[in-house]
Amino acid sequence: MSTPYYIPETDVPLPPKGADVITTACDYCIVACGYKVYRWPVAGGRNGGPKAGDNAFKADFPVDPLGPWVAPNQHNIVLHDGKPHHVVIIPDKDTKFVNTDGDSSLRGGCIAQKCYNPQTPTRDRLKSPMMRIYGILQPVPWDFALDVAAEVGNYVRSAHGANAFGVKTFSYQYIENTYAITKYALRHVNTANFTFHDTPSDVSSTPGFRDAGFDNFGPAYEDWMNAETLLVCGTDPYETKTILWTQWIMKGIQNGQKCIMMNPRRTAGVAYAEKNGGLWLDINLGTDLLVVNAIARIIAENGWQDAEWIKDWVNNKWGSSSGFGQGTRNTPWQWRTTWGKFQTKGYEDWKKWLLSQDEFKPENAAKIAGIDVQKIRTAAEWMAKPNNGKRPKTSIMIEKGFYWSNNTGNTQAISALAIIVGAGGRPGQVVGRAGGHQRGGQRGGKYPRNKSPMKVPGRRRRALDTDTWTMSGHTRFAHVIGTTWIQSMCGSQQLAKRFEELTVANPHQVRSYDKQDIIDTLKKRADSGGMVVVNQDIYLVDPIGNRYADIIFPAATWGEDTFMRANGERRLRLYNKFYDAPGEAKPDWWIIAELAKRMGFDGFDWKNSNDVAEESARFSRGSRKDFNMIKVAAHREGKTLHQKLGEFGTNGIQGPVYMEDDGTLVGTKRLHDTTRKLPETGPAAGNVFNKKLTHFNSQTGRCNLQKSPWSLFSDYWEWMTPKGNELWCTSGRTNERWQSGFDDRRRPYVVQRWPDNYVEMHPDDAAARGIENGDMLMVYSDRVPSLKETTLGVEGSDYSFSGQMKAGNVELTRAAVTGVAMVTRHIKKGIIFMDFLHTSQPANSLEGRIVDWISGNYNYKMGVAKVKKIGESPYKNTFRSMSFAPRDII
Amino acid sequence: MSNQTRMPETGAPQMPSKADHPAGKCLMSRRKFLLSSGIATSTVMVSMNTGAAAAKIPATISTYPRKKIGKLSALKTDKPVSFEYPDEGAYAQSMLVKLGTEAGGGIGQQKDVVAFNYFCTHQGGDLSGTYKADTKSLGACPLHLSTYDLTRHGILISGQAYQSLPQVLLELQGDDIYAVGVFGLIFGRYDNLQG
Repeated sequence: MSTPYYIPETDVPLPPKGADVITTACDYCIVACGYKVYRWPVAGGRNGGPKAGDNAFKADFPVDPLGPWVAPNQHNIVLHDGKPHHVVIIPDKDTKFVNTDGDSSLRGGCIAQKCYNPQTPTRDRLKSPMMRIYGILQPVPWDFALDVAAEVGNYVRSAHGANAFGVKTFSYQYIENTYAITKYALRHVNTANFTFHDTPSDVSSTPGFRDAGFDNFGPAYEDWMNAETLLVCGTDPYETKTILWTQWIMKGIQNGQKCIMMNPRRTAGVAYAEKNGGLWLDINLGTDLLVVNAIARIIAENGWQDAEWIKDWVNNKWGSSSGFGQGTRNTPWQWRTTWGKFQTKGYEDWKKWLLSQDEFKPENAAKIAGIDVQKIRTAAEWMAKPNNGKRPKTSIMIEKGFYWSNNTGNTQAISALAIIVGAGGRPGQVVGRAGGHQRGGQRGGKYPRNKSPMKVPGRRRRALDTDTWTMSGHTRFAHVIGTTWIQSMCGSQQLAKRFEELTVANPHQVRSYDKQDIIDTLKKRADSGGMVVVNQDIYLVDPIGNRYADIIFPAATWGEDTFMRANGERRLRLYNKFYDAPGEAKPDWWIIAELAKRMGFDGFDWKNSNDVAEESARFSRGSRKDFNMIKVAAHREGKTLHQKLGEFGTNGIQGPVYMEDDGTLVGTKRLHDTTRKLPETGPAAGNVFNKKLTHFNSQTGRCNLQKSPWSLFSDYWEWMTPKGNELWCTSGRTNERWQSGFDDRRRPYVVQRWPDNYVEMHPDDAAARGIENGDMLMVYSDRVPSLKETTLGVEGSDYSFSGQMKAGNVELTRAAVTGVAMVTRHIKKGIIFMDFLHTSQPANSLEGRIVDWISGNYNYKMGVAKVKKIGESPYKNTFRSMSFAPRDII
Repeated sequence: MSNQTRMPETGAPQMPSKADHPAGKCLMSRRKFLLSSGIATSTVMVSMNTGAAAAKIPATISTYPRKKIGKLSALKTDKPVSFEYPDEGAYAQSMLVKLGTEAGGGIGQQKDVVAFNYFCTHQGGDLSGTYKADTKSLGACPLHLSTYDLTRHGILISGQAYQSLPQVLLELQGDDIYAVGVFGLIFGRYDNLQG
């Protein structure tokens, strides 16, 4: 458990005048700050000087605050065209949007350290395809690996059916790659055994938003700043999308915005909001719905709702019902309303329901949520009480702490609250997700829902739950792309056990030098009920790649090919290639194309990433990041799509993109913009005016005001509630670390800051267990609930936690994860918090592997655990690593 | 790619010579400006033009000077005192503090006396006046809220900085405290000793 101590540099080379300047955006969080790469050859030793005339920044050193300073962590040496080059990568000081002021987080700020350099801890990048032969992953040529994967994959499809062929993939790692992957998996393999990195089945993350008619990413960043009251649920944007906070929300607060943060942790953003007149709703886990509805109840009782907005923009009985008959009869919206639990006839009907629920009385909600009831009243006043006849401009932001606690219930409740305060379709009055990763998804095929054998009450099919399906042994070939499948899912340790049984514990292991023999062995594995695993990633991931994969495809990534992607306000940018991918690593689109061609699929003859982007463009039409008209404009001007988007530099352009008659491209500041005037002549030529530009995503274009019954979730919540000496156990991101730490584990400074997973706990909870800062803890549970099979049931009432318990479909399993104690005032008593995805200490092991009955998502943020000290960490009494100081110092 | 701006190489820039290096002059007005800027930070920062940074060229130093910065007996727990190091140029302002609790790199009988540069290693916010006795920390930075743990070599507690706060290495001779080096690059500079 030794820590590689970070030895800081005390000087840094400056880029010389004339260095190449290449624009890109950060690879990490949803915000996607604009960056500039300064690149110059190592040969010749021509570094820049400190005078403005002698460096690429045209700045005198020492530079001013906010100036183009280069920290040593922002420099690296890479190969470009086979020759060593310096690169300095700093936030773009000239960008007009997103990271205005040239701001950056630590994560993106040190992105130069991401680049492959064999002299740094990035030296273990995957550089060659590999195959497990005699138990060891050994380098093999691309042709060899691809031929085996293609033949075994095709065999599994024909012998065991398309649903035996599983594809689990990132949803966001660039438009070109996600298009290629979904074209292969959905259009050609056509498997229902498909899902993305963050969910067991391919479903909406925010079912309530979908039902109400809200896009997840409708708002513009300026709306979050311009709101007069902002309710932020289940995230501290400072911790997780830092620049959205420092450049937008924080400026709003400085201008007098009242910021309400609903979150059991008081991290720096929460503390800043409170210090500047805001409010902290320090609720217990999973009680969001009660507090949200209590706020709504106060608003309704006092008549503070935005009556005019409701009159114009909320569906009545007939509008609510008009969803029937849309498309297939399998739309999630339809079966939810058929269930009769959500649908209303409009505001009065909804209000009648709301007022009839005792648990939404402020006193009752406050008691279960564990907060001061006055806070609920204050929040309601700030959000909706007119002042001298003028309504406050109110916006609502949600993220995973909220929508992954009670997925359907919370998102239904918050949608209703948004609607009645008039949030959703006007400047400064918006509702949306804050976002996690960037938005790089572009579908190249449609999910074959009708091939899924899983159903909800009645005859309606649900997207296949790939975890349950795999646990049941139905997945015979798993293609896992750029995701930490196992630790990223709930009940991780049970999943790992099953993977082990299906792969390395299967008798059919490759022990041969002969290609056909290898293929035959893997076919026998599949036939015997085992599973063949192909893992495609930039590093060898433990255990999915390291222990279970038979074939490894090494992927190229950010900076190693040219890609497109959008951020949390739908801003599309070009991410330029600026250095050579390591070894034989190839971009995902190339790997998919080579595999697909070998499997006999047509339409994969792309020569470069621009070819893929141009093919995908027409499929983006009508979507929130519709970029088709950029391609049209590019071709008019004799350019490629990538060239044309690149002209927008770090400023980019917000989708959906519309083209004026003269060829000018116009972005879309916000979706559902009821104040926007589109040309009366309608969309000309290739332009598409989707309803979402000026209306909501419902059948009528108006919002559906829906009920959000606590009773659909309360049995699970009550069962989960800590018993005896258990504590609530939840998880999330921390500012200094991104995702699984795939890059951060290779950055000595971040490793020094966060060497191990940590366990934040309140001083009272720590004292009761004899725990001090720096103690090494065992966090464990013997009642992690897991579904044995897919949801079993006939009647609607079977589809509940109690129903599944009664049916004997819930198994209680054990889990254990270690972590370093961090005793801190910034977390609510009774709750512990861990990093959500440390691959070696996965907090998700402790979260119930029970899907939301309605949506099919996990409620990742709702677990319980016991905690005991097992010794002391090396950080307890030394000073180099970690810090036990609280995160609320303002 | 055509979308990459590639400027042609124009001759060979000279390797910097030490005689040319401006380490800048201490900018007290800027520091006070930053600290008091508060709400208007975002707008005032961009308009701040300190050509003065390069106005005065101090003597070039090639190794860290050994500089007496205070007396141990004069320090009071949790009362930081300011000094300048390694020169009197821009961003040399630093703080010496007796934490009252053992700290990494601490000197004195309790190993609790430490010194740090005062400028945030994110974007140069001035941290003077932000010492917190209860958490033994500096910050939150007035610009973007970064905080630093002074008991742990200035490691970032929470926030955006690209590295720890530069720690000034100390030596004790009798009752005299000497600064003898800096651990980590000081904001704004490309080389601690050359500006």
